[in-house]
Amino acid sequence: MKKKLYIILAILFILVPLGLLTDYSAWGEWDQEIYKKLIGFIPEGIKNAQGIKPMIPDYGEGSVVMYYLSALIGIGVLFAIFYILAKLNKGKN
Amino acid sequence: MHIPDGYLSPATVAVTYTIAIPLWVYGFKRLKNTLNEETMPLIGALSALSFIIMMFNIPIPGGTSGHAVGAALIAILFGPWIGFISVSLVLLIQALIFGDGGISALATNSLGMAFVGSFVGYYIFKLLEDKKFAPFIAGWSGIVVSSLFIAIVLGIQPFWSEAGKPLYFPFDLATTIPALVGSHMIFFGVVEGILTQIVYSYLKDKK
Repeated sequence: MKKKLYIILAILFILVPLGLLTDYSAWGEWDQEIYKKLIGFIPEGIKNAQGIKPMIPDYGEGSVVMYYLSALIGIGVLFAIFYILAKLNKGKN
Repeated sequence: MHIPDGYLSPATVAVTYTIAIPLWVYGFKRLKNTLNEETMPLIGALSALSFIIMMFNIPIPGGTSGHAVGAALIAILFGPWIGFISVSLVLLIQALIFGDGGISALATNSLGMAFVGSFVGYYIFKLLEDKKFAPFIAGWSGIVVSSLFIAIVLGIQPFWSEAGKPLYFPFDLATTIPALVGSHMIFFGVVEGILTQIVYSYLKDKK
């Protein structure tokens, strides 16, 4: 099962720039300007949204290289989390 | 379905975190009991799969896009709690590193995409286990009910208004439910179903 999963992951990784083919945003995840067009104003909460500054905003904002790098970072960080959790687990048992 | 920061009223943020935190704590315990040298690479790879699947933005008529999630797939292979925590971790990384989904909305996004997607997918699969297309139906149902959850949380936001102007997400349930649930029933749910079916069958194939 492990090998098969890694194969699927590798194929999807290679194909990941296909995700860049569309400029369409997800429903509701629009630029603030859209609200002005649709309802005439930007709701206060959305205008003044407080968030953290992401390291790689929007997966590199359309660059194929950054998209690959984003995929690599995502996969790497996730594996690292599970690896650490498994290690911590082992230490306990 | 990744709700950004600023879309939800503080009351919504407070309520969803109050519900999500104990579920995360319990789910984490379940995950820790499941993780060992054998399951770690599998659960890690499935989470990575969920992360990368969400990078495949699929355009649909009407000018929006969406993606599959993979929660049901993890849930039917390792149980709904593992699916819930794995996809929550994916959402956390997306929010922190890539600004995809807000931190204030992390509880809502996790309850919708991770919790609802995993549990609905898992129990539908259990119900249909011997049916050939159980994985497809589990994946489809999981993401459709996820989208309903997100649509409801977004659609109640106009309740918080000042002088008739919504302070947060401005569209009500009459708009959010058809837009989100409709698009997931017709498009993204089908993609999620196909993905769940193909990957599950391939992994379970003895060859």
